[in-house]
Amino acid sequence: MVTGHRVVLPLRLFLVLLFGVLVVFQVLSLPGQFAHMARENPDLAHLRWPATAVTVFWLLCVQVVIVAIWRLLTLVKRDRIFSEASLVWVDVIVGAIAAAWLALAGVFLFVGFSAHDPGLPLVLFLLLIGVTVLGLLMLVMRALLRQATTLRTDMDAVI
Amino acid sequence: MAIVVRLDVELAKRKMSVGEFAEKVGLTPANVAVLKNGRAKAVRFSTLEAMCRVLGCQPGDLLEWVED
Repeated sequence: MVTGHRVVLPLRLFLVLLFGVLVVFQVLSLPGQFAHMARENPDLAHLRWPATAVTVFWLLCVQVVIVAIWRLLTLVKRDRIFSEASLVWVDVIVGAIAAAWLALAGVFLFVGFSAHDPGLPLVLFLLLIGVTVLGLLMLVMRALLRQATTLRTDMDAVI
Repeated sequence: MAIVVRLDVELAKRKMSVGEFAEKVGLTPANVAVLKNGRAKAVRFSTLEAMCRVLGCQPGDLLEWVED
């Protein structure tokens, strides 16, 4: 438990850093990138705004996960991680991953049917498998958390 | 609950107050109240041992099974 508490602070620092970088990508890099690509390939210019919207949405999902992790870390510090309150934030993480997965699956199908070379579809397929594994893993962790919460609740009733 | 903690009887026999008992056993008065009122769901053997030592009795003197 002691080691766990010591990791919380550096983890939070990196979460802040990650969040900041994601915001920079959302408001500067990605819109600029797709505007540039629209100028380079005028025949694909109609994809500029949908592509911007989808990528910004993915980063938003990651940001939601970061906020949820932050809240869970607060519960860890207060030694209240094995309580009903933490399940709410785990559900938020599962929801964000599910939303990102749906958008990714849509993009994968769209690109898969319209692409001429297999490069991008393959990369998207890899991403899709990765996000699927991540989502299912979170569901297993959620079940473990529920088990641990039940055990903790039982132990708290012991005098 | 079919298991009753006969703590009030043993305390009365020895004319011991709940506060004094709680301190000697090392329990919070709130937990002693839970035991006395029959709202306890589980007791550690170490707690039971401490109660028996303080009261000079056997676990059977403290715990009783009654039909629901």
